[in-house]
Amino acid sequence: MSTDADAQLNSESESPAPARRTGRTAERRIDRRSILRPGDGSMVIFDGVTKRYGEDVVGLDNISLSIDAGEFVFLVGPSGSGKSTFIRLLIKEMDASEGTVIVGGRDLGKMGRSKVPYLRRGIGCVFQDFKLLPGRTIYENVAYALEVTGDAPKSIRRKVPEILALTGLSDKSDRLPNELSGGEQQRVSIARAFVNHPRLLIADEPTGNLDPDTSIGIMQLLYRINRTGTTVVMATHDRDLVDKMQMRVIALEGGKLVRDERSASYATVEP
Amino acid sequence: MRLGFFFREAIRSIKANVAISVAAIVTVMIAVFILGTFIPSYLYVQSTVNQQKSRLDIQVYVADAAPQSQVAALQAQIVALQSQGLIKSFSFISKTDALNQFKARLNDPSILTLLPNNPLPASFDVRPADPAKDGQIATALRTSHAIDTTMPGNGISYAETTTNRLLTIAQFIQYAGLVLIAILLVAAILLIGNTIRLSIFARRREVEVMRLVGATNWFIRWPFIIEGIICGVVGAAISVVILWIAKILVVDPYVSTSTGGLTRDSATTIGFGTLAVILIVAGGAVGAVGSGFTLRRFLKV
Ligand SMILES: Nc1ncnc2c1ncn2[C@@H]1O[C@H](COP(=O)(O)OP(=O)(O)OP(=O)(O)O)[C@@H](O)[C@H]1O
Ligand SMILES: [Mg+2]
Repeated sequence: MSTDADAQLNSESESPAPARRTGRTAERRIDRRSILRPGDGSMVIFDGVTKRYGEDVVGLDNISLSIDAGEFVFLVGPSGSGKSTFIRLLIKEMDASEGTVIVGGRDLGKMGRSKVPYLRRGIGCVFQDFKLLPGRTIYENVAYALEVTGDAPKSIRRKVPEILALTGLSDKSDRLPNELSGGEQQRVSIARAFVNHPRLLIADEPTGNLDPDTSIGIMQLLYRINRTGTTVVMATHDRDLVDKMQMRVIALEGGKLVRDERSASYATVEP
Repeated sequence: MRLGFFFREAIRSIKANVAISVAAIVTVMIAVFILGTFIPSYLYVQSTVNQQKSRLDIQVYVADAAPQSQVAALQAQIVALQSQGLIKSFSFISKTDALNQFKARLNDPSILTLLPNNPLPASFDVRPADPAKDGQIATALRTSHAIDTTMPGNGISYAETTTNRLLTIAQFIQYAGLVLIAILLVAAILLIGNTIRLSIFARRREVEVMRLVGATNWFIRWPFIIEGIICGVVGAAISVVILWIAKILVVDPYVSTSTGGLTRDSATTIGFGTLAVILIVAGGAVGAVGSGFTLRRFLKV
């Protein structure tokens, strides 16, 4: 990993203003862009949330929990336990069958379809399959996220190199995604998710396709992003990674919340 | 700058599926070409038909020698027939009016200066309520002494019912043409729609990413709509070029040889510039409608 990026990320964590170069004005502008306003300090609140697919498939079963702004949370559980369902509810890809989902102080059940794009601008998303556009360079992939949300060309030209430096990709900006390794591609997708400095970053098995060493690199990047004040929710199968980090762990099984512990491991140690 | 983004994305997409875009462009081209030959012909026929319609009017020629009182009596007779409901309307055309109308039809009006005086009689232009009753009206008016019997039809001339029938046929052909145009336009809209459907499929990753990062629905739709409009306008523009070549090589030489006589064909049609604008706008509209329909069906946002 480039030490430049490390230095930047670390200094970023000391001063919470995301764009120090332009100071207070830039910070306020970013705040206004985001519709996420976690008033009482809770970034995510699930209250009695059930998600059914059709008649009898239950994705999530009566989940109640809250995630504070600035927290780092692992979402763990066996395949089919409801991790992706949880994540898809956060970005209002679908609505809960029962209960209330509140993100950044907004009740997603009451939010109209036309507001959804603005919700998503406040949330960064990272997936196992990167979701990069194959015909475009790394620079273009990151710039695309800004272009389609109507950012000015001048601000795009400023933000993209900044975030590429932050994620250690400066020298790869003219390459195409298939010319990068899996780990590098995932960095690009994190760069794209974080380029607007969202207050909430969600990652659904971001290390699912990567080898253990590369996974640690990605993990460190997400952790540093968390240190800038961004809430991070990460769904994962990766037992070693979770054990190493000792962060809050929310465990699901068959759609039910079976464990919610701070500074925990992937599984409770059986006596 | 947004417009720039939409155009760049639309052109990227057309390049990415050239074959399908070309198919859509060619369909629009064919439809617009037929529309482009139809509109001038339609207007030409329409203009001719209107002239023929005026030939259904009954011309009652007034003798130059007829005294004012006889002319007034003839007019009174016409007014009487009008109040019976046989005549719809009528107008008086003076000798000067008649000469002016004739001048307008001459290729070289200066030849009229060769005439010692105005040879054309004044006339009443009588429009019957029902052209089938022309004979009845003519018989009724024939009693007047003001009529110039040296003129065709012994001073009262009117068209045969066959003219009427020809006009009905012309009208029918026009309606058939309109139906053909409608079918072609629908085909063009469907093909553009299909192009856009494939383009949505080809760009599904882009659409997914756009939704994920929070692009608004309209932001996602615009590149597709512009893609449809580009296909439509390009197809129409190619047609316009072909039509223009056809006009220069075929129509213009034909027109100049066929109207070589003393009088020119007074039926009019549309100017090429106006036609080109109409066709290109039509092409763009077909593209917009085609992509619009498809987006409603296949890009639920
Ligand atoms: N679109 C869907 N339609 C029907 N059932 C679904 C759908 N998506 C998920 N499910 C079901 O809901 C349950 C939870 O699925 P979910 O994708 O949330 O699990 P997961 O924890 O993400 O699993 P994995 O670790 O394999 O990604 C499963 O039983 C799954 O079959
Ligand atoms: Mg999953």
